[in-house]
Amino acid sequence: MGDWQPVMGLPLWAWIFVAPTALAALLWATRPRTLLRPVWRILDAVYTGAGVLAAFFMMVILGLIVAQMVARWSGVTFPGSTAFAGYAMAATSFFALAHALTHGAHIRVSILLNANAFTRRWLNAAAMLVAAITATYFARFAIKTNFISEMLNDRTQETDKVPEWLLTAVTMLGTWPWEWGDLWARSGSEWVFTPVWLPQLPMSVGTVLLAVALWDYLVRLLVDDRRIEAESVE
Amino acid sequence: MTELYATIIFLFVLFVLLGSSVWIGLALMGVAWVGMELFTTRPAGDAMITTIWTGASSWTLTALPLFIWMGEILYRTRLSQDMFRGLAPWMRPLPGGLLHTNIAGCTLFAAVSGSSAATLTTVGKMSIPELRARGYPEYMIIGTLAGAATLGLMIPPSLTLIVYGVSINESITKLFMAGIIPGLVLAGLFMAYIVAWHLLRPSERPAREASIPFAEMLSESRFLIPVLLLVLAVIGSIYAGLATATEAAAVGVIGALTLAAAQGSLTWATFSASLMGATRTSAMIALILMGAAFLSLSMGFTGLPRALAAWIDEMGLSPITLIAALTVFYIILGMFLDGISSVVLTMAIVEPMVRQAGIDMIWFGIFVVVVVEMAQVTPPIGFNLFVLQGMTRHEIGYISKVSLPMVGLMLLMVVILVAVPDLATWLPENLRQAPG
Repeated sequence: MGDWQPVMGLPLWAWIFVAPTALAALLWATRPRTLLRPVWRILDAVYTGAGVLAAFFMMVILGLIVAQMVARWSGVTFPGSTAFAGYAMAATSFFALAHALTHGAHIRVSILLNANAFTRRWLNAAAMLVAAITATYFARFAIKTNFISEMLNDRTQETDKVPEWLLTAVTMLGTWPWEWGDLWARSGSEWVFTPVWLPQLPMSVGTVLLAVALWDYLVRLLVDDRRIEAESVE
Repeated sequence: MTELYATIIFLFVLFVLLGSSVWIGLALMGVAWVGMELFTTRPAGDAMITTIWTGASSWTLTALPLFIWMGEILYRTRLSQDMFRGLAPWMRPLPGGLLHTNIAGCTLFAAVSGSSAATLTTVGKMSIPELRARGYPEYMIIGTLAGAATLGLMIPPSLTLIVYGVSINESITKLFMAGIIPGLVLAGLFMAYIVAWHLLRPSERPAREASIPFAEMLSESRFLIPVLLLVLAVIGSIYAGLATATEAAAVGVIGALTLAAAQGSLTWATFSASLMGATRTSAMIALILMGAAFLSLSMGFTGLPRALAAWIDEMGLSPITLIAALTVFYIILGMFLDGISSVVLTMAIVEPMVRQAGIDMIWFGIFVVVVVEMAQVTPPIGFNLFVLQGMTRHEIGYISKVSLPMVGLMLLMVVILVAVPDLATWLPENLRQAPG
C-alpha cells in the first residue's frame, strides 16, 4: 500500500486505524457509555439520512424509466437515459449500505453465531472486525478510484450529458469559499458528457458510511452489548 | 503444487469467513482479496473497484429495486384478504378443497412479486387462520404453503432470475419467459399432491362446505380483478414485447401504487415504509452482488473454473450426470446459504463448466431456480422455515418435516425439466423481441 497519501501531516492509515483506536482506548478509560451515547444518536441519524437519500434515488430510477417509456411512445429521444438510471441504481445501492446494515437487512450465515451466548458475543465481534476491515479496504479504494477518475477527467462511454453548472455546484463542496468566485468564472453553461467522478461520489460516501457503521456497531457491541438484530419479517 | 495449496487456502478462507457469520457480501469480498493476493500481482483494490463500479451502475440491474418495491407495496395492501375471498369459491369444489388456495394464492402473488418470503407472508397471513378454522390438518396447511411460496422465485418477476441473468449476462426477459411454464407445472405438482392426500386420507378431510351459487362465485371473483390486471400489465407487457424487464417493473410499481390507492391503503406511512423496506432489501442484494463481482474476477485468476471445466471435459461426463452432480451440490449449499447467495457464489465456477457441457444457459437458470427453491425449505438454514416459524410458532424441525414432500416434488420437477427441456426453452425462443 505504497500510495497512502499523507493527510494533514500524517499518513492516511494513521487517521483511519490508529486515531480511532487511540480515541477508543482513551474513551475506554473514562465512562464510555455516557460519552458515546450522543455520538451514537448522531451516527444513527446520519445512517438514516443516507437511507432516505437512497430511497430518493430509487424514486429517481422510477422517474427516469417512466420518462424513457413516455419519450419512446411519443417519438422523442431521451439520450443517456439508461446511463442515468444506472447511476441512480448505484446511488441507491451505495447510500443504503449502512442503513441496511444497522437495520439488520444484510444477510449472514448465523448457524454458529446463535450456538450459545459466548459465540453470540465473541464470534459476532470477530465477524464484525473482519467485516469492518474489509469495508474499510473497500472504502479506501472507492475513494482512490473516485479521485483518479477526477484526475484523469474520465468521461462516460455513453451519450449522457449533464449541465456544467451542476458539476461546478458539486465541486464547490470540495473547495474553499474563497475559490468559489474563480470556479464559477471558469464554468460555462454548456452540457458536457458526464464525468465519471460525479456518479462515483455516492460510492465513496456510501462505502465510507458502511465502514464507519461497522466500526461503530463493533464498539457498541463491546461497550454496551448492543447487537444488530436481523430484520424481523412481520 | 503451490497452485493446489493456494486453491485449498482460497476455499478454506471462503468457508471460514462464511461460516463465522461475516455478512455474505463482505465475506465474498474478503475471499476475493485473498485470491487476488495469492494468484496475481495485479493491484487488487483498483481492480476490485473497477469491477464493482461497472456492476453496480449497470442498467440491467435497475429492474431489481423496482420489483422489490412493487412487492413491498402490495405486501402492505389488503391484497391477501382479497385474493383469499376471490380464490376460495373456485377452489372449494376441487378434491382437497380450500388447501388449493395456498397453491393458487402463491402462484398468483408470485406473478406480481419476486421474493419467496413476501409470497409466503402475504398468502400465509390469510390462509393459515382460515384453513385452521375450517379444520384442515396442520401438516398439510404448513407443508403446502412452505412449498408453494417458493414459486415466488420461479414465476416472473423473480429476483433470483434477475440476479442470475445479471451475473452471467443473459437476457432477463428471456429468463422471465422461461420461468412461466415450469412454474405452472410445479404448481400443478403441488396441487396433485393435495388431490392425492384427499383421496388417500379420507379420514382427515374436514366437513364438506355447502357449495355456493355460481352467481355469487362470480361476484366474489371481482376481488381478483385488480391483481389479475397487474399480472397482465407486468408479464403481458414483457411477453408482447412492449417493454423490457425494467420497464415492466416500473409499470408494476405504478400499478401497485394505483391499486393501493384505490383500496385506500396508500397512506404516507405505508408508502414510506414500502420505499425504505425496498431500499434496504435492494442494498442487501447489491452488496452480495458487489462481493460476487469481485469474487468472479478473482476466481478467474485462480484458474479454478477453467481447470474444473477441462476436468469435466476430460471425464467425458454426460450433461445428465453433470446436472445430477450439480443438483446434489446445490442442495448441500442450499442448506446453509440462501438462493441468491448460492447463485452468485457459484456462477463464476459453474458457468464455464455448464457451457463446456453444451447446456443451454436459459434452461440452466430455471434448473438453478428449482434447486435453490429447495434451499428455502431445507434445514438448518431455510428462509421460508424462519418466516413460517415466526408466523406459526412451530419448531423449525416440524416445519421442515411437513414440507419434505414438497422437496420431493421439486426433485421430481428437476427430473421433468431434464426429460422435457422444452418446458423452459420453448417460450423464450418464441418470444417477440422487446425494443431497446
